[in-house]
This record gives sequence, C-alpha cells and structure tokens, in this order.
Amino acid sequence: MVIGIPNGLIFRIYGDFARAFFAELGIRTVFSPETDRTILDAGVRSCESEACLPVKLFCGHVAWLRGRCDAILVPRLMRLTKRQSICPMFCGLPELARGAAAGTRLIDAPVYAPECGGLDAWAKQAASAVGAGKRWDAALKAAMAAHENRKAGFCDSGYEHTVALIGHAYNIYDRFVNMDLIRKLHALGIGVITHERVADADIARHMAALSKPPFWYFAQRYYGAALHLLVSAKVDGIIYVSAFGCGVDAVVEALIRDAAGGAAMMTLKLDEHTGAAGFDTRLEAFADMLGRRKANGDHHSPAGEYAYGYAGAV
Amino acid sequence: MVITIPRLGNTHMAMRALFDAFGIACIIPENNKAVLQRGTAAAPEDMCLPFKIMMGGFLGAIEQGADTILLTGSCGPCRFGEYGELFSRLLKQTGHPADVIVIDAPAEIGMKTLLSRFGRIAEASRAPRRVKIAALGQAYQILALADALDAAAYKLAGYERETGACARLLAAFRREMRACRGPEAALKVLESYHRQIRRIGMDPSRKPLRVAIAGEVYSMFEPFANLNIEERLMRMGVATERLLTPTWWLRDLVLKPLHLNSPEVKKRSAPYLPVPVGGHARETIAHAEYARQSGMDGVIQIFPMGCMPEIVAKAALHGVDVPVLTLVIDEMTGDAGYDTRIEAFLDMLEARRRRAKRWA
Repeated sequence: MVIGIPNGLIFRIYGDFARAFFAELGIRTVFSPETDRTILDAGVRSCESEACLPVKLFCGHVAWLRGRCDAILVPRLMRLTKRQSICPMFCGLPELARGAAAGTRLIDAPVYAPECGGLDAWAKQAASAVGAGKRWDAALKAAMAAHENRKAGFCDSGYEHTVALIGHAYNIYDRFVNMDLIRKLHALGIGVITHERVADADIARHMAALSKPPFWYFAQRYYGAALHLLVSAKVDGIIYVSAFGCGVDAVVEALIRDAAGGAAMMTLKLDEHTGAAGFDTRLEAFADMLGRRKANGDHHSPAGEYAYGYAGAV
Repeated sequence: MVITIPRLGNTHMAMRALFDAFGIACIIPENNKAVLQRGTAAAPEDMCLPFKIMMGGFLGAIEQGADTILLTGSCGPCRFGEYGELFSRLLKQTGHPADVIVIDAPAEIGMKTLLSRFGRIAEASRAPRRVKIAALGQAYQILALADALDAAAYKLAGYERETGACARLLAAFRREMRACRGPEAALKVLESYHRQIRRIGMDPSRKPLRVAIAGEVYSMFEPFANLNIEERLMRMGVATERLLTPTWWLRDLVLKPLHLNSPEVKKRSAPYLPVPVGGHARETIAHAEYARQSGMDGVIQIFPMGCMPEIVAKAALHGVDVPVLTLVIDEMTGDAGYDTRIEAFLDMLEARRRRAKRWA
C-alpha cells in the first residue's frame, strides 16, 4: 500500500511528521513534487473557483497523486489548541479536495485540540485506515520526534537589512508560487526572520495587549511575531506575503499594518496571474527604501504630506 | 450615548422599537450603493462584503453623532468574529472613533462579561426596569412577526392571482414601518399587515417553481447584500423558502448551549459534511437537503466573495442531488448579469419539469 501526501498547505509544516508516521507503520509514502505550472493548472481546474490560491494548489497536488498511490492523506484540521480555531477551509479540506482526488480514497480523520482527544484520536483512525491500527502509538511518537527535530524557519544574520517575513508557510516556502522570494531578497541584501523563530512567550505578550486576540492559531503567531520583531528592533521592516482570496490574511495584514505605525511594511499578494517583473520591481523598491531610511536616520515623510508642507487629502 | 447598529434585515425594526422604549438614541444606517462605496474605500480590499457595507454605514452614523457601535460577535472560525477589533481600529484611523460593544455568545466569553457589556447599554437608559423587560419581549415579537410576514409573502408569491400583490404588500409594509415609533405602534402595523396578506387572492391550483434560498447569514438577512433576491423571485412568480432568519438566529443563540436548536440541521447535513466548519455551512447544506426531500425544484446559494465556510459548503453541495445555483456577490456585482443568471436557472428548472413529465 502506498499513501500519497500532497506537498501543500499543512504539509509544508507537517510533511516530516506524516513521512515519519507512515514509515514507522511500515507503509510507503509518496510526496507530490514541488509546485509547478502543471500542478497549478490542475488545481485551478479541479477546485472550487471561489477557493483561495493555496487551496487550489493543494488540489493540484492531490490531482498529481491520483493514480500514483492507493490513498491520499487529507486531514481535517479542526483545532490546534483549545479555544483557537483554524480557517474554515482546513475544516472542510476533504470536501474541497474530493473533486481533485476523483475517487481515490482520502484518509480524512479529523484533528482536534489535545483536550478533545487531540493527535491520539487522529493517529488511531489514520493507522487503522491503512490497516496498521495496533501500532499507532509508536508511529505517533516517531512522527512527533520528526516534527520537533525539523529545521523550520529562517533567522538570517549578516545582511545589510533584515525584515520580518510574515505569512503562511505554504506561501513563504513554496518557491514556485512566491517566485523564489527568499533567494531574491537575499540577493538584494535583505535577510529574513520568520515567525517559527519567535518564542511563544514573546507572542503571548503581544496578544495580552489586544482587547480580543485573533482566534486563529496562525493569526496569533503572525501578529505576535511581527510586532515582537519590530518592537525589539530585530528587523528594519515587515514583508507580508498574502495569498489572493485568503480571509485570514485580509484580517491579520490589516491588524499588523495598524499596529506597525510608520514602520516599513510591504504586502505581496500572490495569485495565479502574478508576473515576476512587477514582483521584482516591488522588491527592489522596498530594498531601496530600507536603504534610504537608514541613510536619513529613519526620517521619512509621512504618507499624504508633500515636499512643500502642503498636507493634501489622503 | 448614541448607539448605531448595522442594518440587518428585519432586526432594525425590533431594535428601533427597543431603543425607543429604552429612551436611547439610535442611528440605524441605510444600506445603499453610496454607503457601500464609502465602506469599500475605508476597508481592507480583501475583507468580505458585509464588513464593507457595515463600515460605510458606521462612518455615516458616526458623522450624524453616534458614539457607540453595538455588534454581535462570534469566536471563529469565520472572519465575522474579528470585525469588532478591526472596526474600532479602522474607525480611529479615519478619524471616526467609536466604542465598539461586541455581544459574543455567553459560552465563549462567560456570562459575567456578557452581562457587563449589556449593562453599559442599560445604564444609559432612564426607563424603569419594568418597561425595559416588557420592551425586550415586544422587540422579540416584532422580529418574529416581521420575519413571519416575509416568509408568508415569499411563499405565497407563487400562488397569487394578481402578479406582484405580495411584493407590493411587503413594500408598503416596509414604508409604514419606517415611520413607526415605539413598540406598540410597530406591533399594530404588523398585525394589520398579517390580516391583509390573508386577504390576497390565491390560486391553489398553480404549480409554481419552488426554490430554497440558502447561504451566508448576512446575505440571508439583509436584502441589500443579496441584491433583493427574494423580491426578484417574487416578481417572477417563484415561491421561495429560507431557513435562516433573524428569529431563527436568535433562537439558535439561546438554544445552542443546550443543543436544542434545529436538531434536523445536524442530521440532514451530516452525510455531506460531517463536521461544523464555521459560519452557517451546515445550515446551507441541511436546507438544500430539505429542499431535495420535500421535492422543491432547486436551491439558490448566496455568499459574499471570499466567504470561507460557504466555499466549503459549495463543494459539499455537489453531493446533494438537487439543482443548485451559486451566486457570489461583491461590491462590483451588477443587476443585469445577476438577473440573467437567475432567469437562466429558472428556465432550466422549468425544462427539467417538462422533461420529467414527458418521461413519466
């Protein structure tokens, strides 16, 4: 038996976890390759047209796995910790991916917070779905170990500028969809720090200052990490990578932008039509601006005001 | 304290009567193109349509003197739960600061917090306690009667002898309610219109197309957010039914902790979507399943662009054996294309009927 694992969405974070889990059960896995044009096109064709870009890409990966495995792992993420939700698309991922799977069996056991059974319940169901129900315990331990030991995120040093690179893992680490963003930033002399390298305690401190913290797990991480890095002067600015149609990004980006005040912040929106030339121009302009801010002692004209002291309407 | 609330279907009738009785000034913004345009300019571009409509309304209301926004909330996973925080920040940014009071479900924030939030409103009222309690009951009655009148008109429009009679009655009712002050007067108007609708001439032998309306909750409650879908269908002689009404929602809020509300929703949606995914995705699917079981001709699903739970519902609806038209709405949706799609769908439903008859 071969289990297919789509190389998108949560498996940009939990890929090692899934690989180790099935390896321990003695089951072969096959990962879909890095995203390419064919996968994107297959996703756009097989998914709901209203879905966001990452979900479409995920469907593309599922479509690639069709015929190359006996079952595809599409977990239903319900809650990661108590009282924190996750985007509705994750809760309904099996429904969204069913069209792309075109009849291939989905292993769609739900994942709840530790208080409601948590990963144990998922591991039991997933293991019995592949006919190895008895060894779920050892497999889960191996998977957890693999997840803990993985190298996640960036914390660059030695670059001329450093920015907080904020956004979903499946936007930041998918080099096709973000047109090799991190390499391009490095080439421009910009190092990046991502939210994985920010401590939980630092994030919790920024949550406490809000009247009502965002209820999405990742939104809390992004907001807290961006503000922490900015306030502790570890970065010169923020780059937010957002996917077209992402409801979570729409909210988090607005919250960060409001809290960041006058700090340098740029939002890069990714969709299936984004062209590399305009993208590169924006990155270069941002790099120039970071350089100029440093040269001017961080003095810059506020938005809406003009060189001769005329304050026009915003 | 001058309160403003979002305009949300019939709720404004009940809330207006409630605040009149409490003696609290309340500005309820109109929903129209100009308001939406303002809201769109002030809101993040990727936010959903309800946010933009409400934002435009609040900006206008604050300019007219409102200082407190009263909003219902939720704690995920849908974006609606984030509205409060975002409104208060964006309004401050645009120079329209206001207090935002969010009424969350007691299960999420605790009864004490909820009562203290209500307390801030009750404090502003000088009306005696007795009057306040009576007004709460009357407000509920107004809401229930108004929703019932709507539901009756939407259904009966398929059977009326004179096309447009139900639609005209509803229009007259809305006009009269607009001028109405205080709960007693509102109830009187409602009773009169309930009597009138019973006198409209009906032809029970007609076999109109029967269509279920389902989708995202704001688009269900507020005609402006669904481009008056039901009124359009009334004019086309279609009988429509909808599960989600403000009355239903209020009952849901109270009964949810007890797991007593709409047990059939869970049962009907489970084969297609086994878990709740936020918003009202389950209700959408359950209503489509109800339409299938009761032999209705089709379902129209409506949601604002980017609505996360309803996209999942749309995918799950492929499993329900009933014709579905999905209408996705944003600030750029135009009238003509909208009508064309609805007409094409109705044509298809009629063709299905003819074909079924031929093959029988």
